[in-house]
Amino acid sequence: MNRLLSTGLAAAIALALGACGEPEKAKPTLELPNKDPFPSTYQANAAGTLLIKGANLLIGNGEQAEATDLVVKDGKIVAVGEGLQVPDGATIVDGKGKWVTPGLIDVHSHMGVYPAPGTANHADGNEMTSPVTAQVWAEHSVWPEDPQFEKALAGGVTTVQILPGSGNLIGGRGVTLKNVPATTVQAMKFPGAPYSLKMACGENPKRFYGGKGQLPSTRMGNMAGYRSAWIEAAGYKKSWDDYIKKVEAGEEADAPTRDLRLETLVGVLEGDIRIHNHCYKVDEMAQMIDMAKEFGYKIAAFHHAIEGYKAAPMLAKEGICAVMWADWWGFKQEAFDMVRENIALVDYAKACAVIHSDDPIQVQRLNQEVAKAMSAGNRLGLGLTAGDAIKWATLNPAKSLGLEDQIGSLEAGKNADIVLWDANPMSVYAHAEKVWIDGVLRFDRNDASVAPTSDFNLGILEAGEVRP
Amino acid sequence: MNLFSKTFVKPFATALGLVLAASVSAESVLIKGADVYTAQKLLPATDVFVNNGRIEALGSNLTYKADRTIDGRGKSITAGLFNSETQLGVVEVAAIEQTVDSMTTRTDITAAFKVADAFNPNSTLLPHNRAHGLTHALVMPRAATGLFAGQVALVQLGNTPRVVHESVAVAVDFSEHGVELAGGSRASALALLRQAFADVQDYSANKAAALAGDRRTYSISLMDAEALVPVLKGEQPLIVKVQRAADIRAILKLAKAYKLKLILSGVEEGWMVAADIASAKVPVIIDPINNLPSGYESLGSRLDNVVMLHKAGITLMFTGMSWHNTHSAYLVRQSAGNAVANGLDKHVAIAAMTANPARIFNAPVAGDVIQGGPADLVLWSGDPLEVTSEPELVMAAGKVAPMVTRATMLRDRYFERLSAK
Repeated sequence: MNRLLSTGLAAAIALALGACGEPEKAKPTLELPNKDPFPSTYQANAAGTLLIKGANLLIGNGEQAEATDLVVKDGKIVAVGEGLQVPDGATIVDGKGKWVTPGLIDVHSHMGVYPAPGTANHADGNEMTSPVTAQVWAEHSVWPEDPQFEKALAGGVTTVQILPGSGNLIGGRGVTLKNVPATTVQAMKFPGAPYSLKMACGENPKRFYGGKGQLPSTRMGNMAGYRSAWIEAAGYKKSWDDYIKKVEAGEEADAPTRDLRLETLVGVLEGDIRIHNHCYKVDEMAQMIDMAKEFGYKIAAFHHAIEGYKAAPMLAKEGICAVMWADWWGFKQEAFDMVRENIALVDYAKACAVIHSDDPIQVQRLNQEVAKAMSAGNRLGLGLTAGDAIKWATLNPAKSLGLEDQIGSLEAGKNADIVLWDANPMSVYAHAEKVWIDGVLRFDRNDASVAPTSDFNLGILEAGEVRP
Repeated sequence: MNLFSKTFVKPFATALGLVLAASVSAESVLIKGADVYTAQKLLPATDVFVNNGRIEALGSNLTYKADRTIDGRGKSITAGLFNSETQLGVVEVAAIEQTVDSMTTRTDITAAFKVADAFNPNSTLLPHNRAHGLTHALVMPRAATGLFAGQVALVQLGNTPRVVHESVAVAVDFSEHGVELAGGSRASALALLRQAFADVQDYSANKAAALAGDRRTYSISLMDAEALVPVLKGEQPLIVKVQRAADIRAILKLAKAYKLKLILSGVEEGWMVAADIASAKVPVIIDPINNLPSGYESLGSRLDNVVMLHKAGITLMFTGMSWHNTHSAYLVRQSAGNAVANGLDKHVAIAAMTANPARIFNAPVAGDVIQGGPADLVLWSGDPLEVTSEPELVMAAGKVAPMVTRATMLRDRYFERLSAK
């Protein structure tokens, strides 16, 4: 309908122009689907200038610096160094004896789509009505008032990737959010962040659909299911490519009928949408990698990579991040081969190691999960520092999201997503004291008014009771 | 290879455990200068001498000749950890139902459901948890058909894991989950509890007639009634899982009416009714890390819940961390650390996962580091609650525990391959 209208309008304009001069044949116009129909409306308040003085910095890229200053201006980090000048009008925060990290990033969260309280009316994370539901977008399920968001913020988490669940082979689009209070999901969306697509290997899809007597009921059924979808997507892509070619050659052509499901898959084939693949086991990862080559797309990350340590050389070679827990295991056969040194070993093999929570309790203390993984590596003699380890929750996850040029480290030019900790964040006793996103103070442990609680909590809890 | 993979999971692990146990049983150990956390206080830079499975001496400048002397400076010692709510030994892989014995779909085996009968001492979970400092646990059945989950067992994770007490309590689930199984209303659930108790009293007073089929029909099976007799006599505790403040009050009232020996578990809104719990002298089993309104029953969940419960005088017993309370039951230590980070006294936190449950459930250890006591202790590489502290020595049931587990074997195999590159 839109397409007809606008083609008609273009023809009318061409006619009108033609009336004044040489009659000219209307050039067909290209009608492509809008790639950003739900644009971000996120806006940072005026951030001003901030100087954090003399804190211990864990930079996020593996480095660390003692008693160092950090200057933020207009939402960006502008300088990191010792004894920096106090900029005019700067808010000064004394960081002496305290620690600073980049805002933590959780690339596997279901906050908003499986909010608290966990009731059926809001369980919107898993569209388990068909094994391939690439047409669904997690952002359309996010309930921004989920009281879990503010708890994660109090733990220093500034960026979250919200993913659909893992019941389906291809579960739908994920979305990257800034962890700010908002009434709409658009106001949380990280401007310009690439979309992701959630895929799932292994036990979950085959258990659920096998139980209903439909494909997939086996791992070979899983593979057949993904490959059929990619074949369909390749055909759909060709129909659009043909249409574009014709129009560009000046031929009349009707745009293909849009298919939301295949549109997302084509986004992957064209490199716009990043694959975040729930995949525990090394053998299945190898098959997913071959399949990606078969259809010509890239995998950004394997999530829940319990066997990351077995896959590490392959992941390093292919440039795929392994997204892992510190110590979860045993809830499924595919989670049986846990080793506590998993993250440290993936890092040791020079692959991209990432921590994730997948859990509303652990997202609040990702630093502790990092610390446990670091400690396990050090028990093995890997000599990891806090600076080494924090990158599993900062720069590496930023890479997996395609946002490493904007977030994930305390470097000049990056977004001022910053956490001030009252102790070494590798300690169970450490608290996030202040959290800034784009230079705006969003949480202050000593000032509840900075972070008003979710609407949901109003009238249920007293002001003093909703503190983290 | 085939033989290895076939026999690895259970028999091999057992054989390994036995061999190591035999070789280390008589080992004496002297730890020099570690910070010792007793249930009451800190003994800084203290020497500990363990001989013949007991703590023979505690003090400074001990000069015993030991098979092994360990420099404990900068390290700490606690009693072995005790997690008060696990499914250890009755779940191997949660998604493989053949390995899950923690619940039953039978409606006629509820209070009589005895998880101890299913305890598997060869479970791979036991060496993993022991090597991380866990030496005792309650094994809690889970409710699947109604309010009564079954009988709670006490197990010891020594080098030969064993059930210490088959039945230390009967568990009831009065959370939203249990209420759902009991007709979907808290009111129906309470009615069913009262009816069950009345039936048990009738059964208890007329046992012969009841068994002969000469009494009225009971709402629970005869074996369930039998299992509840010691509970109704006030001899055995009833552990009730309950979260909401109003529900806690209702259960306290019920327990008072029937003169039950009550223990509460869950209690996420406990701080709202702390005075009531305290005046009833009811201890609680709690995971202090919970702070989310996960259900409408726990809207008041908060991290300093345990601080307020302790202040009110309530005895704490810890579980956790979160739902990892079985496969990684040793992470109860992380939950305890978070409690301290949010205001709980450190010794109170340690007692909540050592001495308190040991005393209340009559464990074979005191859950304390005391002269003459059994060697049931952990030497930590640093602060006992710190997430970066690793267990360097675990003594369980008087013996040095092997630190080799299925996970460390996997680690070593692949680390070797990665290092060779």
